[in-house]
Amino acid sequence: MLLRNSGLVIALAVVAGATLAAQEAATPAPVGGCPPEPAAFHKCALEKAKAFTPPRTPTGKPDLQGYWRGRLSQAFSVEGVFGNEPLVGSLVMPWEKAPPMIVDPPDRKIPYQPWAVPIGRIGVNHNQYLDPRTACGSAGVPRLALQDADQILQPDGDGYIVWLFEDHHSQRVIAMDARPPLGADIKVTNGDSRGRWEGNTLVIDSRNFNGYNWFDDSGNFYTDAAHIVERLTMIDRDTIHYEVRVEDPKVYTRPWTLVWALVREKEAGFELLEEACREGERDRERLLQTGIKYYFGDPWRGR
Amino acid sequence: MRPGFTSVLMAVLLLLGATRVAAQAPAPPRASDTRPNLQGIWQVLNTAAWDIQDHSARLGVPAGQGVVVGNEIPYLPAALAKKRQNFETRATADPETKGFLPGVPRIMYMPFPFQIFQTRDEVVMVFEYDRGVRNIYTNGTPHPRGPLNWWMGDSRGRWEGNTLVVDVVYFTDETWLDRAGNFHSEALHLVERYTPAGPDHINYEVTVEDPNVFARPWTMRMVFYRRKEPNVRVLEYDPGRLMDEANASR
Repeated sequence: MLLRNSGLVIALAVVAGATLAAQEAATPAPVGGCPPEPAAFHKCALEKAKAFTPPRTPTGKPDLQGYWRGRLSQAFSVEGVFGNEPLVGSLVMPWEKAPPMIVDPPDRKIPYQPWAVPIGRIGVNHNQYLDPRTACGSAGVPRLALQDADQILQPDGDGYIVWLFEDHHSQRVIAMDARPPLGADIKVTNGDSRGRWEGNTLVIDSRNFNGYNWFDDSGNFYTDAAHIVERLTMIDRDTIHYEVRVEDPKVYTRPWTLVWALVREKEAGFELLEEACREGERDRERLLQTGIKYYFGDPWRGR
Repeated sequence: MRPGFTSVLMAVLLLLGATRVAAQAPAPPRASDTRPNLQGIWQVLNTAAWDIQDHSARLGVPAGQGVVVGNEIPYLPAALAKKRQNFETRATADPETKGFLPGVPRIMYMPFPFQIFQTRDEVVMVFEYDRGVRNIYTNGTPHPRGPLNWWMGDSRGRWEGNTLVVDVVYFTDETWLDRAGNFHSEALHLVERYTPAGPDHINYEVTVEDPNVFARPWTMRMVFYRRKEPNVRVLEYDPGRLMDEANASR
């Protein structure tokens, strides 16, 4: 078990990005003029959004375009890191203490059904399965938006919003055209997304997930029945309030909500770089030899 | 190569195309900045993914007329031997069999749809195959300082009349051009030309230059067809994950 965990840690360290998010979460500076703690930020940001008029595209839509990075987010656990987790104090890549990103329910824990607790909360997934992100898949929704840099584009015609992620060259195409959803038998990693504007907020409604993705390094998870609604609202020119409501009757007792910030990347000339993953990956075979398995939803399948 | 003849032919084809468009269909919708609008979901209808040259049918491989102009690829002698070896060992040597990014131009003629988006500063292509993405910057920025080795290269575009011209450099030597073992080195340099031919077709031409492998530049030409099904979407084919899922111990 010790050996297996250190192998996993090395793989995660190679994938990087995670540590950066953690360090940023530890800084006490305000984000968008709001307190740097997800629940306090959430309350403050919703107030600030009421008083802010976002820049507009030529066709009058709120202009969210540009490069962004997750802030107030960390890769370890959406439920927060309190100091008693197995990897706090690890010499290779220590987890750092961080507040929960969950703002609802009030106890700020994922409202798992009892069977799912020992799977998701640093349990079966974490100990027996290879993190799907380490296996070079897309990190999935909403985990993509807490890792590395991303880019929002609002192409001509307003029919789509494109959200590109440096993390393993992942992409999401969000249809704004109100055509019918995909058939229920088509499952895709990042879900089938329909977007709409509610005032100044971009609302993205996604279904058809294959359920092969986690929220975080801990193995917190959803299934192929997940329904995820994201809300992106600018609270100033350089800060987006990012709210994610997750519903999945197979695995939770009620819907729950995550919040973090997306902060504009302002480095001059910044562009997304190619992050090939599988093409240069060297660790998967060794990890599999330790008995750890690929994650394709086996712990929840059949529920 | 007969550039004079080619340009005349192209001009005639463009004129014919323009006449047909004027007579039968509304002009292709233009992006808000008056540049030609290439947006939409596109796909090839050819056999270039198997073999970019003329080829007879093989088991599981449809016969096909090649997309290489003149059909001959001007390999240097050592490179031709390597191409033949690649063909013999293609079942395991083809990088496609490892679930890797297929590179450019190969991803353009994989038998999967892709979607083109345009903004003021970029043309972005999103591919069903392997979650591929191309950011083609049309904002006048040059290639970054190299050397770089990217699976999909670095793309900088400009508009020449109705044509999007894209210069692509900084490749690896680990991608192929098709399943028949046609290949290149990391010195690959592409010039792609995307020209709308009516509302539902794009004429695609790519000139391939690589002094380590070819004696002179050569060109491929093909058509991208607009996917017209009313609710068509780019879905997902992630070859690496699908291979892992098929091999996963359960």
